[in-house]
Formats: sequence, structure tokens, C-alpha cells
Amino acid sequence: MDKAVDTKFFVYFSEILGCHVLDRTNRYVGKLAEIVMKINGEIYPKAEYLIVEKGLFPTRYAAIPWSCVKEVDDIIRIDSTREDISYQTHKPKYDLMLCVDVLDQQIVDTYNQKVVRVNDVHLLRVDHQLHLAHVDVGLRGLVRRLAWTNAIDAIVKFFSPRSSYLIREELISWKNAQVLSLGRTKSLVRLDVAREKLSQIHPTELADMFRDLSNFEKCSLYKSLDMAVQRKVFADLAINEQVELIDLMDDKEAATLLENIPSDDAVDLLLKLPKRKTLHLMKLMETKTSKKLGKLLKFSRDSAGGLMTTEYLFLHRDALVKDALQKVKDNTQFPGNIYYLFLVDDEQKLIGWTSLRWFINVDPEIPLLKVCHPRKLFVRTNDKIEAVALLFEKYKFSVLPVVNEADILQGIITIDDVMEELISIAWKKYKEKL
Amino acid sequence: MAFKDSKFFKNLLIFLAVMGPGFITANVDNDAGGIATYSLAGSHFGYTLLWSIIPITLALVVVQEMCARMAVATGKGLADLIRENFGVKITFYFMLALLFVNLANVMAEFAGVAASLEIFGISKYISVPLSAAFVWVLVVKGNYKSVEKVFLTACVFYVAYVISGFMAKPNWSEVLHDTVKPHIQFDVEYIMILVALIGTTIAPWMQFYLQSSVVEKRINPEEYPYARLDVIIGCIFAPIVAFFIVVACAATLYQAGIRVDTAQDAAIALKPLAGDYASWLFAFGLFNASLFAASVLPLSTAYSICEGMGWDTGIDKQFKEAPQFFGLYTAIIMVGAGIVLIPSFPLLKIMYLSQVGNGILLPIVLIFMITLINDESIVGEFVNTKFFNIVCWVTVITLSILSSALLVFSFWRSSA
Repeated sequence: MDKAVDTKFFVYFSEILGCHVLDRTNRYVGKLAEIVMKINGEIYPKAEYLIVEKGLFPTRYAAIPWSCVKEVDDIIRIDSTREDISYQTHKPKYDLMLCVDVLDQQIVDTYNQKVVRVNDVHLLRVDHQLHLAHVDVGLRGLVRRLAWTNAIDAIVKFFSPRSSYLIREELISWKNAQVLSLGRTKSLVRLDVAREKLSQIHPTELADMFRDLSNFEKCSLYKSLDMAVQRKVFADLAINEQVELIDLMDDKEAATLLENIPSDDAVDLLLKLPKRKTLHLMKLMETKTSKKLGKLLKFSRDSAGGLMTTEYLFLHRDALVKDALQKVKDNTQFPGNIYYLFLVDDEQKLIGWTSLRWFINVDPEIPLLKVCHPRKLFVRTNDKIEAVALLFEKYKFSVLPVVNEADILQGIITIDDVMEELISIAWKKYKEKL
Repeated sequence: MAFKDSKFFKNLLIFLAVMGPGFITANVDNDAGGIATYSLAGSHFGYTLLWSIIPITLALVVVQEMCARMAVATGKGLADLIRENFGVKITFYFMLALLFVNLANVMAEFAGVAASLEIFGISKYISVPLSAAFVWVLVVKGNYKSVEKVFLTACVFYVAYVISGFMAKPNWSEVLHDTVKPHIQFDVEYIMILVALIGTTIAPWMQFYLQSSVVEKRINPEEYPYARLDVIIGCIFAPIVAFFIVVACAATLYQAGIRVDTAQDAAIALKPLAGDYASWLFAFGLFNASLFAASVLPLSTAYSICEGMGWDTGIDKQFKEAPQFFGLYTAIIMVGAGIVLIPSFPLLKIMYLSQVGNGILLPIVLIFMITLINDESIVGEFVNTKFFNIVCWVTVITLSILSSALLVFSFWRSSA
């Protein structure tokens, strides 16, 4: 009982690193060289092995399973005998090792949204388990690692007994700590851990986090995300931040990314890049995508063609309502708008269009054309943005089809794209007036 | 044909965009201490030390290329990598040593500024504070691109030395002969200057600076061949400047039997021998080199220390985003420039100590570098090839032996 109260709950890794490890009969087994943590999705990973080192030239290492460990204090006691331990000449490798993967590495503090270096690790002892609880990124941690705590504390106390240095701990909960992938060579394990944890953060928050990171950090963090999250985060960035990120990626990665975002966003982005880079990226894309984007790039920015996206759902004019319902169901992952369906004939000419709202509750067996908008409303690719905006205003739609001179459906415009552009035009005019 | 041309221009454009870090770093080596050493070599031994420039160039290329490669491969500075792979203790004490050595180097640079402008009759109490302020504003108010432009411009002014080399009207056939034919003279002073030449050309702080600036320039692995070209061109241009300094001093001072011990003495002594312009060019070159190095050194030091300790770095950041970085940078400039202004401060001792410090740190840095660049888990495909490793180790061992020899010699000289 007394013992449990005596024992500190928390211990710093630097305080036990290098401690002597004794076996059941109090014989010397070695010094603590490393702690291996178990990766099993727990927020605060548990210690799995202690790695002990012994001797010099050659140094020999042994991994001791946590189940054998009796006590971790100034001295570490284990429950087996020295003879049971098999030593090896190389330091064994595991997935999450405190010295290799955490200590001295850079981490993203996902709570305060910045990148810091780990000076020490704060371990929690509960229930005969050792958990990785916090990482210490503060000055005190640095001093502790250098084994100067007593000296520095004495000096600081002498000059200013109430200095915040003496009490301020800068700990980051492991829950909020994210080890950055090392450089450009990726460690797969680390990335897996990263993905798991980052996936719990909302993409919009991740995008906010991005703003405070340096370029290199941005890049490493971005690469630790999986594809789907990458796209969402990217979509939440402002256009100039997107351009920056594209600059940081290598061209292949950039091209793949552009293929996977809505084409109007991709075009906006390509227009901001230097011409040489645009052409180069287009070359790296699949022919289909690059053709599509190439077409969009030709339209002037303030015309319907320049505003439209080519991601839309369409059906043949003979389709029934049930086909339409199926189409929507099949495309829940579709990057574009799925609430509007466009009907075309054999030559891709626009026949009519409808909204989910109009056909969701009608008899599935009737032709879709019956529940289409009564008038053939559309804009042409070279219509000016003002004309498009008036149409939106008049009919209170959130989307409009875009056709070329031959009435062939080219794409759709959503109201937010128009608003965005209108606001920037209005803003420019306002500034000119000033 | 047209296609070929456009490809050539495209490559040229990429190169010009990537160029900078390697060229700048190599040129900063020709700092106040470097120019003093070259003047000494030329005035004491004529052309007989010229041959050493070729092996020095090779060693410089080998060492600097490794740094640039590591930067591209990892996207991290050398200090970052040292911290991550060798732990906090080694990093901390090493950085502490680096801070003091670099501080001594900074003092030497400001002393160079003072000395060169005194030749033009400007008091050091005016020149040093003004140049310190210039250097500080340059980095704190600038961004990476603007700073790099200023630095690249400074590189151009090294041509002053090439011109003064020509103005000294050397005997070119003799120069050529002594450049290609190695010559060893077994006298202590000769070997000491030989070692000093190498020591001043390859300094520890350069490795940190080059790697950080390649990282800050965000050079991609695809652009690496251009970055390597930048390093190689820089590492060839810098020794060419050194070559002309030696030639200028050898053709005039050595011929006239004048032995100088500092760069400003050389500039003054050139006046009656090679004319006012040669002397002014020489002094101007010294000023440019000192000011240039005085801007780069504090920056490099602040970078290295903050990277190692895990504090925010970067010229592109604001003061309050990276307080330790800008704080250190400011402190180094203030202390470095301030001490030069203290009357009767033992400056020569400090300069000598800075050389000794460089000599102690260099082998350690080189061993760090070789260990890092051979670790595939850090640099991936950019790992050293076997052949390159042999070249590197030979370079490292030779440099280490020579720099420890310099240490021994220095102690021997100071006690004698």
C-alpha cells in the first residue's frame, strides 16, 4: 500500500534511461538502452519490451518482454534470471522505439498546431504498465537530458526564486503529438501510426494546421495523410496555399492530385501556376483528364466556360426515374454535385435536367423526362459571368448546365463558383473606387 | 536544332533558379582570414604553394557535394540530422563549441572590415557599426530571395582580386609551371601555411550553412543535378580567386622581398609596387569578403544552433515566430562587432583561436557527415556509392590529419 503511494506515477524517460537492470537474484543484466512501445491503436501506447545493453566492444543487446519486468524505479528489476536472457550483437529493431522514433525527433503538436522537437518523454506508470503519456518539448526537458537540472535550478532559484522556468513544463499529450516522417525517405510504420491518428482530426482543422507549418513540415504532414483526406485538406486550403503546396510536391504527385480534385478547382490552380509548370503537369496527367482540363483552360475566367466544372451526372433521355435513383446511389463518392441530373440525347445534346428533390418521391417507373424542369434552361460557354449570375438570381437555382453553340452539354456551373468570382470582381471595383 | 536550343535554355534557366547556395558558400570561404592566408602564402613563398589549390578544390567539391546531397535527400539541415541521429548531448556540446568558434570567426570578419576601410581612411568606429547594422537589417528585414541576391552580388566583387592578379603582371609561364607541379618544402613555416590554406578553405560552419540554405531553397530531388553543378562551380570559382590573390602577392611582394602577415599589410604594400588601383582593388576585395562573411557567419550559426535545439528557424519568418533564431543572430553580430571596437583588444589572438577552433571541429563534422550520408534510412537512394565513400574517407582523413597538424603547429608556434 505504502509502496504504491510512494511510487511516482510519472517518470521521465531520461531519468530511467541508462538505469541498471538486475535479475531475480540481484545480478547485473545490463543498462536500459531503449523502450519499445506497442502499436495497437491505443492512444497512450504501452511498453512492450525493454532493451538492455551490456559491455563495450562488442556491446550486446537483449530485449526483455514487459511481462518479465517487476519494478521500474532507480533500478529496474526483472523476474527472470540472467541465464534466461539471450544477448545479440545488434540492437533489435521494432516499430515504435522511444530513442529512435520519438526522442530528438520533430513532432507536430496537433493541438497548438506547430512543429517542435522532442526533448524528453513522459511515461505514466499505472496498473503495472508503462504508458507513453506525454512528450516534453520545453527547456526543462532539454536541461534534464543534459543532466544539468540541479545546477541550473540552483542558479535560477538564486537569482529569481519565482521564475516560471522552475515550474513550467511544456508537455504535449501523445494524443496530440504526431511524429513527422523523416525527410523524403518514408518510414512505413511511422506513416501508418500517423494516418491512424490524423484520421481522427477533421480535414478542415488539418487545413488550419497547415497554415502554421513551414514548407518542409507542410510537405511531410501532407504526405502522411491518405489520399482521400489529402484531397479534402487540399480543397480547404486557399488558392495561394494550394499553389505553394503544389510547388513543394514533385510533379508526378502534383499531377495525380490535380486529376483527383474537381476540374474547376484544378483549372483555377493551373491558371495560377507558371505556364511551363502547367504544361508539364498536363503532360504527366492521364490523356483524358488533361484534354478536359486543356479545354477548360481555354475559356476566359469570367465566362461560363471558365467557371464550369466537368464533374456532373448525366443520363440518356429515355432513362426512368429508377435509373436516376440508382445513378445517385452509385455515385455517393462522386467529387461533384450529385443532386442534379442532366438528360442528353445520343449526340450529348442537352435535353433537360432535374433535381433529386423532384424525382425522389415519384413513381420509379415513369420516364425521368416527365419530372424535368419545364423550361430548357442553360447558359452557353461564352456567356459572361454577369449573365450567368442574373439567371441564378432569377430562378434561385444552385446549379446550371453549360452548353456550347451546338447545344452539346459541356459542364455545369454551381452558384458558389459564380459567387466567388463575383465577389472578387466586386471587390476589385470597390478598391478602384477608393 | 531549335529544339536542342530550347532544351539548353530550359536547363540553363533551371540552373539559374537553383544556383545560389553552393556558389555563395564556397565564396564565403575567401573571408578575411582566407585572404590573409593567401597573401601570406604568396608573399612568403612566391608561386611555390600554387599547386595546392588543385587538391584543395577537389576536397572542397567532395565535402560540399555531400552536404548538398544530404539537404536534397532529407530536406533537413545538418544540425537537424545530427540531433536526430546522435542525440541531444553530443549536439548541445558540439553546438556550444560551434557558437564560440563562429563568434571568433565573426570578430575576425569585422576586424577585416575595419582594417580594409582604414586603408581608405575611414575610422573603424564608423565602419564597423555601420556594417554591423547593414548585415543585421539585410537578414532581419529581408527574405531568402532578397538575401541570396545580395550575396550573389557580393560574389561578383571577388573579381576584384582576379583583376589585381592581372595588374600585378606575373610571369605566366612560371605561374602555370608551379600550379601543375607539386612542390613540397620541408620547412616548418611552409608546411604550416600549406595546412592553413586547407584549413581556411574548408571550415566547419560552411557545411551547416550550405545544407541549411539548400533546404531553405526547397530544391527537389529532380533538381539535384543542377544543385550539384552549383556546388561544383562555386567550389571551382572560389579557389580561382584564391589563386589570383597568391599570384598577385607573389608577383609583387615576394619579388620585392616584402613579407606581410596580414591582408591589410598586403594591400598597403601593393601600392608602390603595382599602383594605387591594384592596392585599392585589393583593399576593396578584403572589405567585400569580410562584410560578406560577416553576414553569412552569424546567420549560419543561428541556423545551426536553432536547428539542433529544435527552435524555429528561417529568414522568411518574422521576429516573433522565431525569437531564438533572430535573438542569436543579433547577439552574435553585436558581440562580434562590439569586441572589435574595444581598444587594444587582442584581436590577433582571437583570430588565431578561431582557426584553432575550426581545426578541432572540422574532423568531427566530417565524421558526422560521412556517418549520416551512409545511412540509407536517412538519405535513401542518395546514399554514398562505394567509390565515392573511398574518396570521401581519404579526403576526411587527410583533412583531419592536416587540421590536427595545424593545431599542433599553432601550439608549437604560440609557445615558441
